Amino acid sequence: MNEKMDDLQFRRSIYANPRTQDSDVLEAKKSDPAKKQFAQSIEKLDQQIHRAMDIDVPDDLYNKLMLRQTLASHQQQKSKNRIQLAMAASIAFAVGLSFNFMQSSNAHTNLSDYAFAHVEHEAHLFNNNSDAQITLASLNDKMSSFNGNFTESLGNLISASNCDFGGITVLHLVYKGKDQPVTVFVVPPNSNLNFESDFSNGKLHGEAQQFKNASIIVVGDKNEPLNQWKSNISKDINWSI
Amino acid sequence: MIKKIFGNKSDKAQVSNNMASKQVRYEALVRALHGDLFRYGYWLCHDKHIAEDLVQETFLRAWRALDSLKDEKAAKSWLITILRRENARRFERKRFDMSEYDEMSVVDTQAMGNEQDLENEMLRDKIAQLPEEYREPLVLQVLGGYSGEEIAQQLHLNKNTVMTRLFRARNQLKESLDDEPMFRGQFN
Repeated sequence: MNEKMDDLQFRRSIYANPRTQDSDVLEAKKSDPAKKQFAQSIEKLDQQIHRAMDIDVPDDLYNKLMLRQTLASHQQQKSKNRIQLAMAASIAFAVGLSFNFMQSSNAHTNLSDYAFAHVEHEAHLFNNNSDAQITLASLNDKMSSFNGNFTESLGNLISASNCDFGGITVLHLVYKGKDQPVTVFVVPPNSNLNFESDFSNGKLHGEAQQFKNASIIVVGDKNEPLNQWKSNISKDINWSI
Repeated sequence: MIKKIFGNKSDKAQVSNNMASKQVRYEALVRALHGDLFRYGYWLCHDKHIAEDLVQETFLRAWRALDSLKDEKAAKSWLITILRRENARRFERKRFDMSEYDEMSVVDTQAMGNEQDLENEMLRDKIAQLPEEYREPLVLQVLGGYSGEEIAQQLHLNKNTVMTRLFRARNQLKESLDDEPMFRGQFN
């Protein structure tokens, strides 16, 4: 068959694919005029088949297909949007809930916990030998948001700043103490934090008093005479409203 | 799930980007291949309206599954596969109506003008009358330009079977045309 393709084989190949590039078929076509003629007649038939099969495509088919897809994907998008909206709403709802929850259930639930946490956190910033001295006037300036003022300084005030007790702004005062600095917190009322008048953690102890416009907490080390501080505060503080 | 939701949110721009590029791909696909698909569908069912429906269904399915089409070169075979499946589904829905193509051939032969059209129309009839198992490989070869191997793959046949069917398809066409006065002697 390599040498010479037999006629049946040749015809089958041509019928199966008139455009075949098979080398045996091409060779047979070249060497045998009868085969060549047969091949040409089937090529002609094939051209006619091509023409016949090449029917007209409706002009508007492309547009119809695009329209159909646009409508379908719009439909899909709409339901997707609805799902996304619903998801976004539930996420927002969940975030809102948890935000509220977090607001009301902070790391600490007691004033005393916050007080100790702040004192310990900032202990390295202050020492009893500090030269800083804040005037009574600038302290009272800060006290004005509590509608209160001190008639006399409680001692040597090293620092006066605002700090945060889980969302509540607290005035954080540091005085020179007997051995270690003493911290006084002025806490606005209406806080959700539990109030304890007397608390201790072994190293530090603290005492709190409730006044008309604020609670005042004093925190110092074990040697600090906190009662003295408390009575001075009671004596020196004035509430304007 | 959570990752998916947040992924969607943060990749919003990319999603709409993907949507746009999907649209572009789809449009290109439709533009390039809807003609071939329509013709292929027509030769499966011999009805232009059904062929249109088939093509519409095919492209709609293609749109939904476009992400799974990785290789653009395989697009045509992929679409043909979908169309064949759609066509098979049509037969599941509605039992085969044997009169279908007879009606059509009567309608279409009427308004013919020149000889070429007449010849085409005659041949179309003959193609339509080929047994489907012969016609389909022929359509794939002529319209799709597929090789014997490719047709075999598409139709889940072996290559020898495909070549035999192609041979029989043309052979039958030739024989039936030889019986027609208009074609007589042309292919001898």
